[in-house]
Amino acid sequence: MLELLPPLNDHNLPWMDTIHPIVVHFVIAMALIAFVFDVIGVVWRKPALFEASFWNLLFATGAIFVAIIFGQVEAGLASPYGASRHILDIHTTIGWSLAGVLSLLTGWRYVLRNRDPEVLPATFLGAGALVSSLIVVQMVLGDRLIWTYGLHTVKVVAAARAGLI
Amino acid sequence: MVAVLSSCLSLASAVPFGLPFALAYAPEASPIEQIADELGANGLPYALPIHPNLVHLTIGLFVIAIAFDVVGALYPLEKRVFRFLALPITRGGFHDVGWYNLLACCLVTYLTVAVGFYEMLTAVPLPGVTSTFGLGSMTTMLVHGVGGVLLLAIITAMTVWRGFQRFAWRRDMGRQVQWLYLLVGVVMFALLGLHGTLGAQMAAEFGVHIAADQLLQAGADLNTALP
Repeated sequence: MLELLPPLNDHNLPWMDTIHPIVVHFVIAMALIAFVFDVIGVVWRKPALFEASFWNLLFATGAIFVAIIFGQVEAGLASPYGASRHILDIHTTIGWSLAGVLSLLTGWRYVLRNRDPEVLPATFLGAGALVSSLIVVQMVLGDRLIWTYGLHTVKVVAAARAGLI
Repeated sequence: MVAVLSSCLSLASAVPFGLPFALAYAPEASPIEQIADELGANGLPYALPIHPNLVHLTIGLFVIAIAFDVVGALYPLEKRVFRFLALPITRGGFHDVGWYNLLACCLVTYLTVAVGFYEMLTAVPLPGVTSTFGLGSMTTMLVHGVGGVLLLAIITAMTVWRGFQRFAWRRDMGRQVQWLYLLVGVVMFALLGLHGTLGAQMAAEFGVHIAADQLLQAGADLNTALP
């Protein structure tokens, strides 16, 4: 069965480069800018920013499921070592949780927008701030997997294959 | 030292009209040695590089800005489908995303490029590596650096262009953007993809600012150096 799978390259991947970090552009950027637009929209009373925020949030919520799918495949091929195993576990748990949290936030926003697209209650801004902080924590964990532990980098993959890690 | 000098001189003599003394100069040590004590294992004075995180914003905001302007431009085709959704949709809403996301992208990209240059000046790529594109580390960094400034210039120009379309030329029109603008945007997707791949190679292949790669290169045992 295993020989039916595509061969792995020097990044230990069946494709050229890690795809998860590319897909998360659209979760991180869209979810964070949605919160920024909401804050500016409230402060400057610009309802057009609420509209931009809604679409960004909706897109982030769609993108996070794609990010999780690629994240799971690439985590499975990452051969983590040392403390990176623990970080990868937390990153996975927060990642799946964020999918639920972002879906709830978007659902809430959908109801608010249907009622009155020009008004945003402070409680939603508070929730947006919390979710944004969670995203930043998730970014730092993901950053440590690549920038500290070098998972899926050629050098670390070579060392792991040579049995050095 | 003599060998280095002579090889530099032979290189210089191969340049028919260049400045030979510019190439003959061989510094004692790389200038980065001056601040080496202040840098961590990843070659930075802080734990995680900042540029790759700002890149999320630059790429995400740009791509979604253009994508929503495309959706707004094709609205007459889509509205028959949108009727079936329990979602109030206006054409102007899509173009709001197109404008505000691009504006945010333009502002944040100045930071992305500035931080990128700082982190490139402190970059120590792994020696002897050739990328998937067949380029060496110096060529990759030069192309990525110059390319980054060019992309910033294009993004800035497109933001001004987008602003003129929104607030002046196409102010009262349903389709807020010109087809040419969308075409330039889609071409930019390809440029950003290529540029981003060069950046990804600097990390995953040249090991720039990756603690594990740099420690391995220094001969450390990751089981003890990165517990």
